Amino acid sequence: MLSPYRRMSQIGVFALMFVIPVLNSYEIYAITGTYYAINIGGLGITDPVAILQTIVASGELAPPILGSLIFPALLALILGRVWCGWMCPYHLMTDVTAWLRAWFRKRILGKSEWEAPVVPRPFKANMIRYGFLLAGTLAAGAIGIPILNYVSAPGILSTEAMILVRQGTLSLEFGFIAMILLLELFLFPRFWCRLFCPTGACLSLFRTPFTMTVRSAVGGGKTACCKNERCTEACPMGLAPYGEGTDLLCTNCGECIDACSAKDGPGTLGFTGFG
Amino acid sequence: MSNPFGSFLRRVFIYGDNPLINSYRENYLRPPGAVEEERFMALCIRCNRCLEVCPYDSIERAGWGPTLGTPYVLPEAKACYLCMACTRLCPTSALDTRLKNPENVRMGKARIDFSICYSHLFLEHDTLPENAGAKIGALCNTCYNVCPFPDKAIKLRDNLFPVVTDECVGCGICVERCPVRPRRAVNIVPTGMGRVDRAGFYYRKARKFYETSLTPGRTDPSKVLKGKDLLDKKQRIQGGGERPKFHFPYESPADGEEWE
Repeated sequence: MLSPYRRMSQIGVFALMFVIPVLNSYEIYAITGTYYAINIGGLGITDPVAILQTIVASGELAPPILGSLIFPALLALILGRVWCGWMCPYHLMTDVTAWLRAWFRKRILGKSEWEAPVVPRPFKANMIRYGFLLAGTLAAGAIGIPILNYVSAPGILSTEAMILVRQGTLSLEFGFIAMILLLELFLFPRFWCRLFCPTGACLSLFRTPFTMTVRSAVGGGKTACCKNERCTEACPMGLAPYGEGTDLLCTNCGECIDACSAKDGPGTLGFTGFG
Repeated sequence: MSNPFGSFLRRVFIYGDNPLINSYRENYLRPPGAVEEERFMALCIRCNRCLEVCPYDSIERAGWGPTLGTPYVLPEAKACYLCMACTRLCPTSALDTRLKNPENVRMGKARIDFSICYSHLFLEHDTLPENAGAKIGALCNTCYNVCPFPDKAIKLRDNLFPVVTDECVGCGICVERCPVRPRRAVNIVPTGMGRVDRAGFYYRKARKFYETSLTPGRTDPSKVLKGKDLLDKKQRIQGGGERPKFHFPYESPADGEEWE
């Protein structure tokens, strides 16, 4: 079962964004920063979208900026988009929101828990988020401000946590997080990570044929390998994991693998690649 | 020309001015080591790491506006104490990460408003005028006393007037401690404020203060002795005929090392 480990990882990263400002207030600078850019014992890790926008907006390439790209790039090249599925604090919140929505649908409305994603076709969803990333990067270059950082959910959440710890208040960017969470709760289930999040779109681009992906041991392709298709119901990104495990949308969260092997013994889905 | 919208368009499309960046206001400083404003706005990714590590809580986060999320030092509330903790942590070199010596910081330059500074007012009038906002008649010189680089950044002209020199790093400690209210007598003009052609659309508002702080601007009754005349007169005063003689029964040792 991968799910408990995944939750532990998510909650750990969520808690870390509150721990960092506490440590820093005691002048322990071993770990500093927010999830836009973090520094763990000298290892700089920066959001690739922030780096991209900085390069486009300022027109210059500073070596320390590129150095902090190495770790996220390597992580994404080896394990895929695990930042989104296993770490991102916003993804944890959107998981909770989706759980609330499913509970509401089942208990109050009496409908099935599963519902089709907002844009059902993964290709179209990818086009939307890369269009958004491209438009945002061009806008950042045009006005000289890294503008996509204002819609980067993990960065905003981490900044808000820092402000909350240091000053006991929230800034107005929290309104943005609250807005997309409410939209996900009432109108468009899980739309932000799937259709817009620029960080996720950028991390999906780091990919080789050897990157860890979800594959089915039997069948595969367009036909489902069993009748239940519990994997499709479990997928937070609205994919059909038996055939679309290699899609750019997949976050390697492992929910489909858990769902596949939940009831009738070892399932047919599993991770392949470096992982 | 007078049409504000037309001049806006002209600035944006003919001169290539960016309305969203370069917002200068007095006492609205970037953290130490910040690159020039236009590059800063492009390079700063709003990660707020500088704000997070500041041990004095000097750095504030800008609110709603084009500069949303960027770090600022507002010396009227809390000045920068030049600990240089933030510069080495900037991930994108928006703050010069190599800057370590506080003397090389150039966040801005202090400017003393002679029309409300207590020291200058007192020397002009011999007592504080009614509208000075305080009843203390004294040489204040707080800015000189709190300056981290006294006799470099702020000098005392004639041992009485505080005067800012080019060595000023713009940390704003003098602004924080200046007793004059509501507007401080010493204010920091952020670096780059003098460049009218490149300054942003907020410049005009700050410029008004900038110019009033340049000109003394106050005319006084000609009877009142002031400045050099007052100093000359004070030096000519003979207090009680004979000067008091001070008696010190203590002789300093010839060699300072032998104290035991």
